[in-house]
Amino acid sequence: MNDTPAIEIRGLEKSYGPVWALRGVDLEVARGEVFGFLGPNGAGKTTTIRCMLDLIRPQAGMIRVLGLDPQAEPTAVRAQVGYLPGELNLEPNLRVGATLRYLAALRGNRLDWAFVQELSERLQLSLDTPVKNLSKGNKQKVGVIQALMARPELLLLDEPTSGLDPLMQQEVYRLIREAQAGGATVFFSSHVISEVEVLASRVSIIRHGRIVETVEPRQLLSMTTRRVRVRFMERVDLAALDGLPGVSLLAQDDGLSVTVQVEGAVDALIKALAALPIADLQTEHPSLEELFLAYYEDQKEAA
Amino acid sequence: MFTELKFALGRLRGRILGWGLGLGIYSLWMVSLFADVSKIDIEAYLEAFPKEMMAFFGGIMELASPQGYLDTYYFNYMTLIVGILAIGVGAGLLVNDEERGILDLILAHPIGRTALFWGRYLSLVLCLVIVLLVGQLGWILPPASANMNLTPVEFLMPCLPLLAVLLLFGSLALLLSMALPSGRLASAISGGLLVANYLLVGMANLNADLKPLIEFTPLHYYQGGYAIAGIEWGWLVGLLGASVLMALAAWGLFTQRDIRVGGEHEWRLAGPLRRLARRA
Repeated sequence: MNDTPAIEIRGLEKSYGPVWALRGVDLEVARGEVFGFLGPNGAGKTTTIRCMLDLIRPQAGMIRVLGLDPQAEPTAVRAQVGYLPGELNLEPNLRVGATLRYLAALRGNRLDWAFVQELSERLQLSLDTPVKNLSKGNKQKVGVIQALMARPELLLLDEPTSGLDPLMQQEVYRLIREAQAGGATVFFSSHVISEVEVLASRVSIIRHGRIVETVEPRQLLSMTTRRVRVRFMERVDLAALDGLPGVSLLAQDDGLSVTVQVEGAVDALIKALAALPIADLQTEHPSLEELFLAYYEDQKEAA
Repeated sequence: MFTELKFALGRLRGRILGWGLGLGIYSLWMVSLFADVSKIDIEAYLEAFPKEMMAFFGGIMELASPQGYLDTYYFNYMTLIVGILAIGVGAGLLVNDEERGILDLILAHPIGRTALFWGRYLSLVLCLVIVLLVGQLGWILPPASANMNLTPVEFLMPCLPLLAVLLLFGSLALLLSMALPSGRLASAISGGLLVANYLLVGMANLNADLKPLIEFTPLHYYQGGYAIAGIEWGWLVGLLGASVLMALAAWGLFTQRDIRVGGEHEWRLAGPLRRLARRA
């Protein structure tokens, strides 16, 4: 049983009326792996995860979660899965502790409450706070705790760090790594490349309901593009920026300012700019959708 | 299922308390007036009212009898009053959590849709039973009830047909909430049907041509306070049977359909209704 993949999906199709959310998704995640699921908003990440839990029913395709068919054995699948929804909503009239106890009761109360308290301390969340008083970030912490608290075999995390501050994001990364070290498989979705780079051992990229590529995180570096806007204190000769590797000129204002696009490392650009009188420098990451467009257009042209 | 029943009942406790106590206080007040009402000359008193109005309310002429009094001042319109609660709870039983996105998280835990559905449905039944029982305490508690010369069991008997009618409309609201795009629409339609049925039964007392029509409506088979004289078991079983059938249909729809998340896709009619609408 344990040599079966943690997740196996073949030809998964799902439509909402005339709109196709998934157009033949194929995925395989090995047991014990931390697997990233990267894609822009609306690409089909949440739909794929919700199909795995039998919350929605696909039109076609095959899904196996921990070797089980979620449609045939939904409770058996969910008993081994911890799920963090992308849009987490909780009963507002309960306190955090009561919410977690209710969710634990749905699992038959097989729960180590000391572990729940440890998680809440690490995420700096009081169990006595009423849910209705929680900020978005603190609600997300409740979501993280409830997903992890039963030490499930498989974690399905839909945008796990959404709404969390950078310190808490790091703590969630640590918790995910600890879960993996404890033998769990982690499948998480994100639209943030840097998050996937940090956590995942493999990444599938989904776009318009199709898996376009499954890669290792270091391969994502070639997709890392940013725009850099520089304003100079005086008019400069921009010839210094010509021919820098990965740097292309987007716009300039008569030597007083320049906007360039940088693919990959920014080291060469920074070194070239160091010799110039800079008044201001701004970098901007394009959205994942813009990035995908540029990346796949380039690939098409190369082909 | 019992975890879900406990959770759902816990959330309903405010409504149970509010409705139960409200009805209980009203009953206490009504029972305290019975001694005075039974002494007045009802026929002379009612002569002041239009005949049509008397006909609309059916058994109002029996106001001086305990069952007539109970029917006129309580059970006749409790279908409408407590119907608001039954329909509100029924329509929101699952859809409220679905529309708020809570159901997604609950159903990601090892609880089957069947257990979730029947756990919640049982909470609707218990909620109505508790509200009716607490409401009925006002009639039963001595010394005020002594004037009516009824035993506690006799006081409780009309609650059975009332419960059956409330369950029927609660189940209808639940079924519609599974089939229609929103819980509010389901409760509005169910509420509209209840009010229309109530008016139709009253109008049929004025217009004999409407009599055959009301035979197809649930309130025709509602005994009200007259259940004290003996329950029409066939009617009661029929009403309860219709409730069960609607609950089963709602359960069937719930187990088959997608759990919706607001904003993920459009709110649509359930499959069979959608196909019918498309054909129309």
